[in-house]
Amino acid sequence: MLVLTRKVGERIRIGDEVTLQVLEVRGGQVRLGLAAPSAIRIFREEIFLAIEGQNQDAQLPDQSRLADAAAVWEAYADGKRS
Amino acid sequence: MASAAEERMAPVRRRDEDVVHIRSRRFGDFEVPADRVLHFAQGLIGFPKARQFVILDHRPGSPFKWMLCLEQPEVAFAVVEPARMVPDYVAPLELAARTLGTDPADVGLFVIVTIPTDPFAMTVNLMAPVVVDVRTRRSIQMVLEDGRCDPSYRVCAPRPAAAVES
Repeated sequence: MLVLTRKVGERIRIGDEVTLQVLEVRGGQVRLGLAAPSAIRIFREEIFLAIEGQNQDAQLPDQSRLADAAAVWEAYADGKRS
Repeated sequence: MASAAEERMAPVRRRDEDVVHIRSRRFGDFEVPADRVLHFAQGLIGFPKARQFVILDHRPGSPFKWMLCLEQPEVAFAVVEPARMVPDYVAPLELAARTLGTDPADVGLFVIVTIPTDPFAMTVNLMAPVVVDVRTRRSIQMVLEDGRCDPSYRVCAPRPAAAVES
């Protein structure tokens, strides 16, 4: 891992298009400003990992999994209506 | 019932050659009009190479749909329009439109369903909906970070709400 030391207000350039700026350091927290093209997605890591994990879990193993869920949903929705 | 946005996704006219063939060991073979293909420039989150998908109905009248990947035909998801399954759901259409650079009326919004071996425990990912510009079919898996959108919202409540109230 590349390790750089920066003061508040200083920046780091990542490639030609991404700029990371240290805005504030207070206690154990650092506030960062990021400027990047909209095609680059920026997330807090825990959010990224949560969605990535959810997407992986959601991959269908086969056709019948979806058909089973649709049947369960139909029965459930009918139960709620009656 | 198909939403207005979804109906506009349907092709108006096409030539025979404008058809995409999907051959999947797991999900079978499909022929889909090329103008139904959704383009995710950034892929799905955690699937950066899965950039082209089609969304197909499971059965007429069912809220469930297939979202099949063209580049990786063994990758597929179940998706639904959340308004049909989640009570009081408010679709973030304005934000989706801004993210896609389009008009809210042209936004199609789906959520990915996670179906465990016990389908009754299925959940929908309200935090990261799939949003589609139905005119250009440019699509993004958007992330809502406001903390109120559950990434694993359970659609079949263990007990019906009516039983809890009584």
